[in-house]
Amino acid sequence: MILGTLLKQLVHRPATNPFPVKYMPRSVRGLLAKVAAQKAAIHPPVPTPKDLRGKIAYDREKCIGCKLCIRVCPASVIEFLPETKKIRMHVARCTFCAQCVDACPVAALATTEEFLLADTDRSSARLTVD
Amino acid sequence: MNNRSLHLQLGGDAACYTVPIGPVHPALKEPIRFTFELEGERVVGVDIKPGFAHRGIEYMALKRNLIQVLYLSERICGICSISHPIAFTQAVENAAGIEVPPRAQYIRTIIGELERIHSHLLWAGVGAHELGFDTLLHLTWNVREKAMDLLEQLSGNRVDYAIPIVGGVRRDIPEEKLGLAYEAIAYYRGLLDTMIDAYLRDASVARRTKGVGALTAEQAQSLAAAGPVARAAGLRKDVRQDMPYLAYADFPVRAITPEDYGLTPSGDVFDNIVVRLLEVAQSIEIIEFCLANLPKGELTSIPKVAALLAALKKASGEGIGRHEAPRGEVFHYIRLEEGKEEPSAWKVKAPTYSNLMSWVPKFLGAEIADIPIIAASIDPCMCCMDRVHIVTGDRETIWTQDQLLRLSREKTRRIVQ
Amino acid sequence: MTGTFLEALWQGVVVLFGGALLGMVYKGLDRKLAARMQSRIGPPLRQPFFDVVKLLAKENVVPDHAVAWLYNLMPLVALASVATLLFFVPLGGLAPLLGGYGDLILVIYLLAVPSLAMVLGGFAASSPYATVGAQREMVMMMAYEFPLAVALLGVAWRLSDALPGAATFSLGVIAAHPLWGLVGPLGVFGLILLCGALLVVTPAELAKIPFDIPEAETEIAGGLLAEYSGRNLALFYIADAIKMVAMSALVVALFFPYGLSGMLGVTGAAAILLDAAFFLVKTFGVVFVAVVVVRVGFARLKIAQAARWFWLPVTGISLLGLALLALDRIVY
Repeated sequence: MILGTLLKQLVHRPATNPFPVKYMPRSVRGLLAKVAAQKAAIHPPVPTPKDLRGKIAYDREKCIGCKLCIRVCPASVIEFLPETKKIRMHVARCTFCAQCVDACPVAALATTEEFLLADTDRSSARLTVD
Repeated sequence: MNNRSLHLQLGGDAACYTVPIGPVHPALKEPIRFTFELEGERVVGVDIKPGFAHRGIEYMALKRNLIQVLYLSERICGICSISHPIAFTQAVENAAGIEVPPRAQYIRTIIGELERIHSHLLWAGVGAHELGFDTLLHLTWNVREKAMDLLEQLSGNRVDYAIPIVGGVRRDIPEEKLGLAYEAIAYYRGLLDTMIDAYLRDASVARRTKGVGALTAEQAQSLAAAGPVARAAGLRKDVRQDMPYLAYADFPVRAITPEDYGLTPSGDVFDNIVVRLLEVAQSIEIIEFCLANLPKGELTSIPKVAALLAALKKASGEGIGRHEAPRGEVFHYIRLEEGKEEPSAWKVKAPTYSNLMSWVPKFLGAEIADIPIIAASIDPCMCCMDRVHIVTGDRETIWTQDQLLRLSREKTRRIVQ
Repeated sequence: MTGTFLEALWQGVVVLFGGALLGMVYKGLDRKLAARMQSRIGPPLRQPFFDVVKLLAKENVVPDHAVAWLYNLMPLVALASVATLLFFVPLGGLAPLLGGYGDLILVIYLLAVPSLAMVLGGFAASSPYATVGAQREMVMMMAYEFPLAVALLGVAWRLSDALPGAATFSLGVIAAHPLWGLVGPLGVFGLILLCGALLVVTPAELAKIPFDIPEAETEIAGGLLAEYSGRNLALFYIADAIKMVAMSALVVALFFPYGLSGMLGVTGAAAILLDAAFFLVKTFGVVFVAVVVVRVGFARLKIAQAARWFWLPVTGISLLGLALLALDRIVY
């Protein structure tokens, strides 16, 4: 009977992970500023697996400028910089398929576990990899 | 929608009035418009107008190479985010004559069946919400998390798994993750009885779903219903059974109908719940079989992406891919031309397109209170389905069946000549 | 004269604001506990206050085709009627403020007024959803009014027999003389049935799942309230909160009017505080059983199913309870 389950859940901890905070703060940016100043803490997100397809890391030294990643990228994330023959990634457009990582012949690209990428500026330093 | 069209419109029959539901309404998770003719609380007529979520995705594909289109196909639908890639890769492999190693076929099957589990549980939760039974929604979605977690572990993301690639798969299921998979299997096997108890033996669910939105086998057949909707009506129809592909060639899948639960199929909402819950059990069996019999060997026949792109550029011909998605059969058609990286044609038929018409007999005779659950019972996905929307200036054109038939005959004549 | 008038006014204001405040707290608790039963965290307890403040700040939209004066008047009527209700229901140790001016019969009428106001407001909104909702609300009222009246009047009638000469239709008298001890075993069984019937009527009276059919969010997008917004919606919201308090206080007054102070021998200010606290516990107990648990445990019924449910089993049970009370009077 469902009632038993309900009464049991009444006294158990809720299944919801209270990430980032339990209740909506009065001001989201105010909270973020406090967190940055270490005056408040946010609850951590649910742990992610090691091989999560998160933000792509780029090893500039290894890159040979072959443009293969640009050819396979479905979302036109990657921009070629002709003067240096390197690439720049605009993460705000990324769909996190990691096909560029598979395509790279010299393993200059790798997936990371970073996935908290919300930002107010789509071309901020965090969202631009080069 | 403006106020005028929301306003009561008295029909010719004074007792009859029109209520529009959609394109935006709490009962609908995606936009579509129903116009109901009502007599009191009873539905006596319904008009369905899709086309609000048309994105021109097939056209976008004609400007991208096949690897890019693969990820486009993944984004046709967020729930079926491996069903479309499976059908798409099969179509391309069919057109280009590329073999898929057995291990890759098994891995595709495993992810596909995991997707069926989470899709059916998602549907069950939505169905409970439409009945005003939010508790069941939360219980079900809490249980669904296990499948999502396993998918995240195996593929690297909760949705859009990016597992299949033309010629194979991109990620292996390593030894150390088998434990997680078996744990999830045991979890769902243990919960199955609880789920069946909560949905099929609950009096308040039964009161709202039995005899509601019935569809006879003949209607399902003539309206070309697909997937659980057809099976709930009693048609043993399943691509995995009728045209085995991937690992289904080794695991004999038998299409599930309410008969397997000891019911006479009537195609009503209750039968839809029965079929979907039993399919969760079936998917568990399939995953367990695939994990136990996972063949050794290569993950893909063309591992180098540059070589794959070159091979696809050289390929020419037509191909089709069929896959039994959680909602029914998904069908992809592709045409490749030599020397061209982009496909020269791509046609996607999502299951909702087949099931759309079965709404009409399901709605007729129902009450207003039944509308949300009947709308949900075919598990519709509007954005998968919407392919055509003709707008000239600010006027829409509606093409009737006769006009479409004439157009298609004219086109066939042009091609034949 | 002016002294008593000022005193009455002062008490009235306290009861009104106290009732509204308590209703909002109950709403917050209801949402929180329902969330916990569904394994969710739920909104903070003060969320209903945020909601009202936000609604009051929002634009008050009147649809083009609405009958504006009726549409705008009905939220006020609903609020006024539930507020009046608070003056006729005993609230813990407090005797009903206007107890001398109206009795149980008036309470039955007053309970129907907010629903009627919502029906009229729904029709006045002139939208298909609101119209369907209004029709459904009328059917619901016809369905649950009879068992409600049987349960309420049954208690008063049996009490009149036990206490000849007392004004037993006055809720103050009913609350002061719990019936449980005045009847025999058959009567106790009858009272249990009547109490059960009243608890089943409570969620319908308060339009909660499984009887929130006139509002049915997934079907008719809020039904009666579909077109309401801003201040009007806030008034309906507060009226609903107060009605929850009044209804649970009514159930408590009829069936659980016991105070702790008498039993424990506490007197003075401590007794008033103790009884007030116990009253809060009792009323929330009623809300928890009749509203929170029921609304998380069931799916919404269809209007025909709900009507059948009230006309047949619930009416049957309440009539059986009444018959047992009558039988008890003959036997006892």
